[in-house]
Amino acid sequence: MYRREFLYGVNGGLGALAFHSMLRAEEKIGPLASKVAHFPKAKAKRCIFLYMAGGPSHIDTFDPKPKLKELHLKKFKRQSKFLSAMGSGERYYVQSPFNFVRAGKSGIEMCEHWQHLAGVADELCVYRGCKAESINHPTANYHMNTGNRFGGDPAIGSWVTYGLGTENQNLPGYVVLPEVAYPQGGAANWSNGFLPPHFQGTTLRSKGSPILDLHPPKGVTREAQRSDLDLLAGLNSMHAKRHPSHEELASRMQSYELAYRMQMEVPEILDLGKEKQSTRESYGLDDQRTEEFGRRLLLARRLLENGVRFVQVYTAGWDSHDYINRSHRERIRSVDKPIATLIKDLKDRGLLDETLIVWCGEFGRTPDNGKRGGGERLGRDHNKNAMAVWMAGGGVNAGHVVGATDEIGESAAEVVHPIRDLHVTILRLLGLDDNKLTYFHGGRFKQLSQTGGEFISELMG
Amino acid sequence: MKRLSTNLFLILISLVGSDAGEISSDMLFAHKILPMFKAKCLACHGEDPKKIKGDFDMRTYSGLLRGGESEEPSVVPGKPLRSPLYMAVKRDHEDQWEPMPPKENDKLSTEQTDHIRNWIEGGAPWPGPERLSKLLKEKDPWSAEGSVRVKTSGGLSEAWTNRKYEESKLWAYQPISKPNLRTNDHPVDALIRARSPEGLSIALSAEALTLIRRVTFDLTGLPPKPREVQAFKIAWEKDKDRAWEDLIDQLLLSPHYGEQMARHWLDVVRYADSAGFSNDYPRPHAWRYRDYVVRSFNNDKPYDQFVREQIAGDEIKPEDPDHIIATGFLRMGPWEHTAMSVKAVTRQQYLDDVVNSVGVTFLANELRCAKCHDHKFDPIPTRDYYRMQAIFAPVTFSERKLPWQDFENRIGIKKDHERYQRLIKEKGIRSITSLPEADRPVSQFDKESERAGHSKVNNKRRQQLNYQLKRANPSVFSVINGAPDKIHILKGGSIESPQGEVSPGVLSLFEGSEELVSLTNNKNGRRKELAKWITSKNNPLTARVIVNRIWQWHFGQGLAGNPNNFGGTGKLPTHPELLDWLAATLIESGWSVKKIHRYILTSATYQRSASHPDPRALARLDPENISYASFKPRKLTAEELRDSMLAVSGELNLVLGGIPSHPEINEEVAMQPRHIMGSVGPAYQADPLPSQRNRRTLYAERIRTLADPMLEVFNKPGPDLSCERRETATIAPQAFTMLNSPIIRSRALAFAARLQKERPGNINEQVRRAFRLTYHRMPHDSEMKMSLEYLANSKKEHEANQQERVELPKYVVRQMVEEMTGQAFWWVEDLDIYAGPDYVPDLKPWDVGSDTRALGDLCLVLFNSNEFIYIY
Repeated sequence: MYRREFLYGVNGGLGALAFHSMLRAEEKIGPLASKVAHFPKAKAKRCIFLYMAGGPSHIDTFDPKPKLKELHLKKFKRQSKFLSAMGSGERYYVQSPFNFVRAGKSGIEMCEHWQHLAGVADELCVYRGCKAESINHPTANYHMNTGNRFGGDPAIGSWVTYGLGTENQNLPGYVVLPEVAYPQGGAANWSNGFLPPHFQGTTLRSKGSPILDLHPPKGVTREAQRSDLDLLAGLNSMHAKRHPSHEELASRMQSYELAYRMQMEVPEILDLGKEKQSTRESYGLDDQRTEEFGRRLLLARRLLENGVRFVQVYTAGWDSHDYINRSHRERIRSVDKPIATLIKDLKDRGLLDETLIVWCGEFGRTPDNGKRGGGERLGRDHNKNAMAVWMAGGGVNAGHVVGATDEIGESAAEVVHPIRDLHVTILRLLGLDDNKLTYFHGGRFKQLSQTGGEFISELMG
Repeated sequence: MKRLSTNLFLILISLVGSDAGEISSDMLFAHKILPMFKAKCLACHGEDPKKIKGDFDMRTYSGLLRGGESEEPSVVPGKPLRSPLYMAVKRDHEDQWEPMPPKENDKLSTEQTDHIRNWIEGGAPWPGPERLSKLLKEKDPWSAEGSVRVKTSGGLSEAWTNRKYEESKLWAYQPISKPNLRTNDHPVDALIRARSPEGLSIALSAEALTLIRRVTFDLTGLPPKPREVQAFKIAWEKDKDRAWEDLIDQLLLSPHYGEQMARHWLDVVRYADSAGFSNDYPRPHAWRYRDYVVRSFNNDKPYDQFVREQIAGDEIKPEDPDHIIATGFLRMGPWEHTAMSVKAVTRQQYLDDVVNSVGVTFLANELRCAKCHDHKFDPIPTRDYYRMQAIFAPVTFSERKLPWQDFENRIGIKKDHERYQRLIKEKGIRSITSLPEADRPVSQFDKESERAGHSKVNNKRRQQLNYQLKRANPSVFSVINGAPDKIHILKGGSIESPQGEVSPGVLSLFEGSEELVSLTNNKNGRRKELAKWITSKNNPLTARVIVNRIWQWHFGQGLAGNPNNFGGTGKLPTHPELLDWLAATLIESGWSVKKIHRYILTSATYQRSASHPDPRALARLDPENISYASFKPRKLTAEELRDSMLAVSGELNLVLGGIPSHPEINEEVAMQPRHIMGSVGPAYQADPLPSQRNRRTLYAERIRTLADPMLEVFNKPGPDLSCERRETATIAPQAFTMLNSPIIRSRALAFAARLQKERPGNINEQVRRAFRLTYHRMPHDSEMKMSLEYLANSKKEHEANQQERVELPKYVVRQMVEEMTGQAFWWVEDLDIYAGPDYVPDLKPWDVGSDTRALGDLCLVLFNSNEFIYIY
């Protein structure tokens, strides 16, 4: 079946229809055709994954540890015999510089700087039991994104698109909105790995051409391009007559027509100018601190509305080894308002129930720190045994805190699960069964969880 | 080495005993039920007593009777339909009993569920260890199914050790058996025909033009030149066979043959010029290995020697430069150790990587599958995996000194070095306050963040430059032996659970016992013995693996469909006799790869037309496409496509080897910041001169975290996983690249300029020449007419619309969040090449008149057309 194998599918006959009806046209064939979920009753139909690269501190965001106040700057001794250079030497307990509040009816605890998120606290399901396995940024990024610490495997968005297809055949099913700078580990974080290339994460770039080479160089008119395509079609059809049994030729010819249409349609979706001024402000587009992330969240919402299955939004800078007070406060402020607005906005549009929102980084942070700069530059190092995760929207156990860490936040202690179980749970919330979502490669049926995992039922509402 | 026999035989254990009468239930249990439990259930229900799922322990009969969370016995002897175990494996009572095993693809076959039913009906006996042992040695009624045991060094459990295999799935481990051919036909044709579906007609031989294009691309990755086509057509008219054989010989002697084979090989070994992960530091001498591969294929180095050099060249012949350079293979995978990594973890990561890489590359076995448990499908115990690892325990990374060799291309090293020496002396980055106010991204920023941030960025920049400066020192990306690590079997693959220590050894399935496959325990010589074992002519895997790859390089599909996996889960060979004939012939010919090409290419099978006389019958009789009744057309690969455009435009610099070249890549991606530890990676700048940029794609620098999007979109695989076969899918972004990329458009414009230069003033001649160079034929009348009309319109269009001049950036502004303050800071990174005096741009639309631009558009359409991009 080569005929329709290309990214963004193909719907040759739909060119005359209005764009929005095209979005809803259920394409029955092709690798990206919308598919029935394994659990058809699952609420979430699409996912937006907010990735806080660098490893946000659970202790300073959603997991208060009053015990650390008592221990502050007392000596800390680590037990493990497997230590990195970073983790060795004299170390001291460090308290959180932040106060915590109980937010919403559910009283979910979060640090004082989540001023806007506190207003939608009852939509969140905070999870404190997740454990990573790597304390290195790129390997941990790969793990959270692909299930495999060493990279090369398909990203979760690729798996979801492989399992569910997508609803708009003229857009990629899996879109990534990175910062201007790519995270550590680079584009392998959204690679299709061994899955066919249709499932690769497509980056929509915040600057320049949203999709590489979407448009010809300036000065080449659309009419000129049309006549290029007409000549190409002429040469190709004569060629096809000489090779009547070669099936791939037709699909390659159609891919050019699809590309030509996309040149018109993609910019329209990306044009945030079409949003009301009040909406733009609510996402923080009027404030330098929130503008960058807010812009991408607003775009994410437009993509989801237009049938994209999985959107991942990155923001970096959470790697606060020093001065966690300032650095985490600034990071929180840069995402707080846009995220709270996204949740409200989706709710107002009746989309929250169908949209799964996931918020996390690649690992958590330690309750202790080496005494750098004479103890003034208090920060936290990488911690694979505990981390901050929350979810909202489609089918999650909203208004609850699930699991717990020990009293100093060093390690997850209740409802403890590895990342693979978080993956299984995200898939399940989206109606996918990790055990059925497999692809034969390298001698076995591979899956996101690598070898199978457990569904964390406490996270589902 | 004494103990290591070079006669490798798969030890199949025949089972002797009494005639099997009626199958007793305890016999069923011993031979079928217990092994099934081990393979399918115990991973979650007993193997790890700390993590027993659903509180259901299947290790013992009492556990089985106790049941799990449901608090019901899982088995009611005599009553399968009341036994939850049976209901769960049947998977049709989902509401009551969750289907088991959970993964759909692991589900039990009907035969297996029938065994469970029969066993329960027979009273569900669970005999004790002595009885079990006796039952296992008895001949069982299933051995007639081809179910055999394989003797190995032994699994972690007795059940695994005694486990049975379908004999057909052990095909790759059986000795090579060269078929006796009683025919004068070409052996390849005879053996293909022997497996052809009855009554299927076969395509005629392809015509001369198709053939020369097909074979030239296959062997060199380049299009034939018009005069080569002409000469071949003439020779073909005189004597087809002679002409064809001469052409093959000539192509096999071309230096570009080695480049094309290296391209294939580097996909398998994951070649890159950088290390990946956080910093993605350059590997400044990896190119010497890349050129070694090109050289080896060009010299038709015996394949067994090629293998031995890559595994153990330093131990075999340390005085020979290529023997040292070859060991770069052992370090090809992505790897990094930083202050944030744990030494034991990254060392283990290396050992796991190198063992799997050797397994996949030379033996087509994913040895990684035996890392955490005995291999689920193949007779490879975990013990063997760690014994293989012990072979690499002394391996230490080394950048040995080795003078440049006469056969190495040293062009550009000096200039490259001077550049980096200059750069490291320069301040490198500057504040955005040095920019005119209008060009600054922000007017105000936190000064402390800038100070702290710039200091980190500068440090990182120096580190990167220091790696680049190493390139001028003649050293090799290689290994030496150091004090060997102690290697233990790691329970569950975890370094935190070491079990018994193991000594070096190879796969035991061939010899059976542990003793026979042990290697030296000295620091030196372990790899040499491994290499000798792998290339023993009695090792049935090695020769089969390479001839299968070669077959795929010519036909797009292997005889065995998973060239990296000859184990039980890989596809069975479609033509096992042919595979063995080729493998045996390879060995007999002294492991000459070129001889194998010659055998394949001279067959009628290879020369068939892509048009089948009866496509419907073909689809019906050969749905899997294994008859080779017609040739399967293929698309140019990413590299072939780029190289072809450069060849046709006349810009291609065909010089071989040397330090990596830097072609132009999509400018947005080139300038795209990538986070590395504490900074962002350096911007990518193309080389200053067209002759440096427009080299064959093989030589373009491969940076793991910065793929060339043009190559990536045309399915060039990433360098982190071994690629056994490339994707060929057509996806819409390919059209964007081919139509809109300024880089591709530059190729088309250069092509137009070439046409005007070679056929001045005559548009008709220019069009003819364009077809000749791209399609190797003259345009048909209708094509000519279309093209001329198009040119006339296009010219008008270009007269009306000027294309805007675009300059390359002279600097980029970077932004990061300073982690100590949480606030953004900015810096300016100067682009020394683009800002410098030496940069010579390609021909651009604003440099030429509307005639050339119009003709360039026609050339662009030709580049985009199916006739250019498909090989028939």
